[in-house]
Order: sequence, then structure tokens, then C-alpha cells
Amino acid sequence: VIPTAFDYERATSLEDALARLSAAGGQGKVIAGGHSLLPLMKLRLSEPRRLVDIAAIAELRGIREMADTIAIGATTTHHEVATSQLLLRLCPVVAEAAGTIGDQQVRNRGTIGGSLAHADPSADLPAVMLALDAELQLAGPDGRRAVRAQDFFTDLFTVDLGDGELITAVRFKPTRKAAYAKLYQRASHYAIVGVAAALEVQGGTIGSARIGLTGAGSHARRLTAVEQALEGRPASDETIEAAAQHAGVALEDVNADIHASEEYRREMVAVFARRALRAALART
Amino acid sequence: MLMASATYRIPAIRVTLTEVFTNKTPTDAYRGAGRPEATYYVERALDMLARELGMDPAEVRRKNFIPPDAFPYQTPMGATYDSGNYEAALDAALKASDWEGLKKARDEARAQRRLVGLGLSMYVEVCGIGPSSTLPMGGWEHAHVAIERDGRITATTGASPHGQGNETTFAQMLADQFGVPLDHVTVQHGDTSIAKQGVGTFGSRSQAVGGTALHMAGTKVKAKMAKFAAALLEAHEEDLVFENGTIAIVGAPAASLKFQHVAAFAYVPVPLPEGITEPGLSADAYFEPSNNTYPFGCHISMIEIDRETGEPTLRKLVAVDDAGVLVNPLIVEGQIHGGLAQGIGQAMMEQAVYNADGQLVTGSFMDYAMPRATDFPRFELQSTVTPTPVNPLGAKGVGEAGTLGSTPCIVSAAVDALSTFGVKHVDMPLRPEKLWRIIRGGRS
Repeated sequence: VIPTAFDYERATSLEDALARLSAAGGQGKVIAGGHSLLPLMKLRLSEPRRLVDIAAIAELRGIREMADTIAIGATTTHHEVATSQLLLRLCPVVAEAAGTIGDQQVRNRGTIGGSLAHADPSADLPAVMLALDAELQLAGPDGRRAVRAQDFFTDLFTVDLGDGELITAVRFKPTRKAAYAKLYQRASHYAIVGVAAALEVQGGTIGSARIGLTGAGSHARRLTAVEQALEGRPASDETIEAAAQHAGVALEDVNADIHASEEYRREMVAVFARRALRAALART
Repeated sequence: MLMASATYRIPAIRVTLTEVFTNKTPTDAYRGAGRPEATYYVERALDMLARELGMDPAEVRRKNFIPPDAFPYQTPMGATYDSGNYEAALDAALKASDWEGLKKARDEARAQRRLVGLGLSMYVEVCGIGPSSTLPMGGWEHAHVAIERDGRITATTGASPHGQGNETTFAQMLADQFGVPLDHVTVQHGDTSIAKQGVGTFGSRSQAVGGTALHMAGTKVKAKMAKFAAALLEAHEEDLVFENGTIAIVGAPAASLKFQHVAAFAYVPVPLPEGITEPGLSADAYFEPSNNTYPFGCHISMIEIDRETGEPTLRKLVAVDDAGVLVNPLIVEGQIHGGLAQGIGQAMMEQAVYNADGQLVTGSFMDYAMPRATDFPRFELQSTVTPTPVNPLGAKGVGEAGTLGSTPCIVSAAVDALSTFGVKHVDMPLRPEKLWRIIRGGRS
């Protein structure tokens, strides 16, 4: 319940944050909303010596439209994402998924960058980032780089983020034809299974489909077999039904816990893939 | 066990209890403490009977009620129910919920392959505890009421509230009794240097027992105050009325004294009126009820279960509760809301889970599911009023009532929703995967 002792520093700029992280020599952690990190520290599953608070860095916060993409700063809260008029107009799936996270208090503090960096296997936003083929923008001691979401989430609580590196923003091409559907874990409101689906439809045919899945395994991943079963087929409920019905069967590494057995989760992957796809198709 | 007769006239009852030793976390009295369990088993059994007979669950209950003219009613388990009108509560709930309309809505939903079910449960509580013969620490409650020299009233109770709202209801009672504004009454409690005696708040007893003790102390003080006022007004004390901050002669409102004027006189009574031997206005009272009180009610719910996921959603909850005379209906509603939330939480989601090594795996609220406000529909509450003869207030108590009817009525609604799969009973809590397995089993 009580974390080990740590120093707390508030960074004033991205450069300042990176310098402070470097100075911590691998013993530092970035904190913004603290809604993932602090519970771990209280359980002493994480014992950083130094916390570098990036919440006050203006350039890391906010939702911006840039040419044909949208960028969301890392310290933008779930509440800001859920209620963003820009997102609701151009890419509602992101706002929709953020609005299902935890409860209002959690959404007021938790941040998109924190959720993605923490990579809880049941977190909602990783699935959405996969469906949007989002790019995570990182900054570290060796400069800046960008990683595609599908390469970023690598294992349980494990992402492609080096020592001293942090997420500055996520960037994606907005689409209205995307939706998120989830089975709530009733205590935490994490996803037992969450599916984000994005479709491109041309002339009544599904041109491409990207489906992100969370909650089922060690980390968020794409449902590529379902995507392939959709592509080139008529944009109809029948196509979706046929493509989604076996979505959970062939998955490897499916979780089982007190909230849902492996068997139930596999079945729910199909149910929520179908629901997300239908909702995406219905969006105009 | 005491409550195994529920609201029904059952000539003979046999109960088998199994006690187990466990190394799991010990539990203690939880809101309702024994009554929800008794209610649950009896009401679930009646639903099974109704299904077996093809009868409406309301009608099978109606046929078996203890009738209003049978009170006081001695059950085979040893309880003596003080008063009751169960059919009135049932009828009020059927009317408030539009029971026939609900059944029609359920059947229409079923025709669209939706899994919708209705649940109905009666309950009878045991409150206002109780005769000292049933409680080792004594079943009485103590009160002290003083009229201060400035006319303000200070009341002290041993039934120390911790959020139930009794500071308000106790003050309301005394303000009514003395005809003074509510904010002239201060209720003190919880400090043993002030409240010298007391048994406490538990078993939904504060209003029925603690409230009655205050009423009795108030009655004593009022009688003495009337003597002072009668001397000043040169009237008979029986002719006085306490209202609007005055003490007046009935039928002659012009002949009145300010309440605080009489209070001040009582502390400097020169000359001491005839029939009064000492100055001052304060009194103690102890009330020990001759019996417990037995509030009752009827709860009705509608639940829909997602056919694909097994997730249950509570669509409607109607609660008709009879707690005798209500001092403050708003506070009673608050008590019932809280009780309903706990009962529904127990029925639908709450569960302490241990793994095979005996480790508690629902050790935080991230894993132990508590209901949130968003899990509930708007509760529809009504009350019937059947006063208790056990105390002069006629109040029965209400603190735990909400947990009794809600739990069986939720489970019964879920069983009704799943009846198409041949289900006769589902154990609490109604976890989605459990329901999904029933639905899936029914498919194959």
C-alpha cells in the first residue's frame, strides 16, 4: 500500500524531461496521470527512484489536426479525448473508446500516452491504435523516432520503448468508419474483450479492414484472419457474420482469470468483433 | 431461522442448518443479517412452486399470506409478528409496476428472441430490536431531553447514528411534539461524556426504539412545562396547546406565552407553582419494547440478459415498503435506495473469490465488483403504512429492508428470463459467463 521512497521532479519542457530521465540512470519513470503507475508502486511491483512528471509540459498535450492526420499529445487525458469535438467529427472511435475507460475520475486523470506506454493487456486504447494503424511518436536521448502501433505492443506490459524514452504523441489518419465494442469487467471497467474495427468501403465492397483486439491475450494484437476474410467482399452483415464467427477460435495465448475463462473469452472475441464491425459499417 | 415463515401462513416448518468452519476471511452481520437469507430461500421456493403449478408468482403468494386479521401472529419459528397487511403491499406493487403490462412487455420481447424476465418477492423484516429477554446487553434505549433556559431543546440519544439521518428524524419528532422550529432542536450522540447510557444503533432499531425513548422523555418534559405555563396563564394544563413557538389556551389563541418565556420561567420559578417541587425542564427515559417490529414489502424487477454475452441488465425495480409510520419519507427513501443497491450488488455481481491456495483474489475493488449508480434503473418506490402497536410512534424501522426483497426478486427475474432453457434456479451472483453457459447449453 505504501510505495518505496522516491524523488519527484516536475519537468518544464520535453528536453528537460529527457535530461532528468537520463540523469536517473535507468531508475527513473515518467508520470503524467499516474493511474497506471501509482497502483503498481503501491503494490511495489514498480519501484522507481525518481518520478519525472511531464503533465505540465504544454507541447505534449492537446489534439491537433495536421494535414490529413490527427495527433494526440501524450498527456492528453481520456476525458479530453472522449469529449473532443474534432475527434467526434472526424474519428469518433477514439473518443468512443476513451469514454469507456474506468470511470469519470479515472478519465479526468489518466492520459493516452500513459495507457499506451503501460500496455495493460486489458487496456482499451491499444486496440484502437492498431485499428487506426497509428504511429507512436517517441523522444529519447538519441533523438526522435516513430513506431507503428502493430510493432509497439510486443508482450505483457512490454512495448518498444527504450531506456530514457517517452511517448510524445500518437498520430493517425482519421476515419469515421471505425468503432469500438467491449465486454466490461464489472469491477474495473477494463475490457475482458475489446475490439476496435476500421473499414474502408468502396462501391459497396470492403477495400481494407483493420481490427485491433485487447483483453484476450498478453497484449493487444490485430485479428488478421478476420481482416483477410473481409477484404474484397461485399460490405454486408452477412460478410461480417461469416468473417467474425471464428475470430476467437484460432487465437493463441488467450487469457483466463476469475472474470472470464479462456473458452468464454474466445467466444466473446467473435461476438465483439461482429459488434465492432457492424457499428463501423453503420457509421457514415 | 426465526424468519423462515416469511409472509406466509405455514402450519409446520422444518429447517436444517449446516454450520461450517472455514479459514476464509470471517464475516459478520451484514445489512439484513439473516433476514435476506431467510427471504431468499422462501421466495425462491415459492417461485419454483408457482412454476410447477403454472400459477402467477403473485397469486401463489396471495393464496398463502398470513391474513391481516391474524395479527399478532405467532409463527412456528417463535416470532410474533406485530402487524401486517401483506396483500395491500402486493397489490400496491402490482399496480405501481403495471404487472400485467410488464408481463405483456416481457412476452413481446421474448417473441423477438430477447431474454427478458420478471421477478417478484415479498419480504418481512424483523426490526425495532427488542425485548431485553432476547438481547444480552439489554434491548432498551435511553434518551434525555432538556429544554434550555432560552427555549432551545437539547436531546441526547444512545442510538448513535452514523449516516442514517436520525439527527434529522429525532429533531423533527421533538419539534413536532413541542411546536417549535426544527433548528431549535439539537440532537447529541456518540460521546460517552454526554450520552451516559445507551445500547446503540443496529437491527433497524434507531427510530422504533431510540425514537420512542426520546418521545417518552419529551412527553415527561412537556407535562412539566405545561404545569409552569398553566400557572402563568392561570389555566388548566390540559387546556394548553404547544404550537408555532407558543403555549396557548385551546380556543383562545390570544392568551398565549412564548415558548422561551415559559422555559426561562421554569429555571427561575418565583413563586414555585403549586404541584411542582423542583425547577428545571429535563427528563430521562428508557424504552424497552415488548416485542420486535415486523416491517414488510414487495419488490418487483425486470431483467434482460444479453443472449450473446450473458450480461444481465436491470431494466426496472419497483419497491413497495411498509415500515409503519414514517417520520421522514425522504430519509426512508434514502435508506431503501442504499439497501436496494446492496441487495442488487449481491444478486448481480459481488463475490469474494479465493484460489485453490486459499488466497483471496478479489482483494481490491479492481476485481471485486461493486455496483455503480450507472448499473441501476431509476428505483420506483412506494409505501403502505401499517402502524405497529409495539410503540407509541407506530414506526417499525427501515434500515435493512432494501436488502431483503431485492435479492430474490433479481434472481427470480433472471431465472424467468432463462426459463426458455429449462432453468429452475441460478445461484447468485449473476455473473455473465455463468449465464452465457446456461444460454449456450440451451442452444445445443
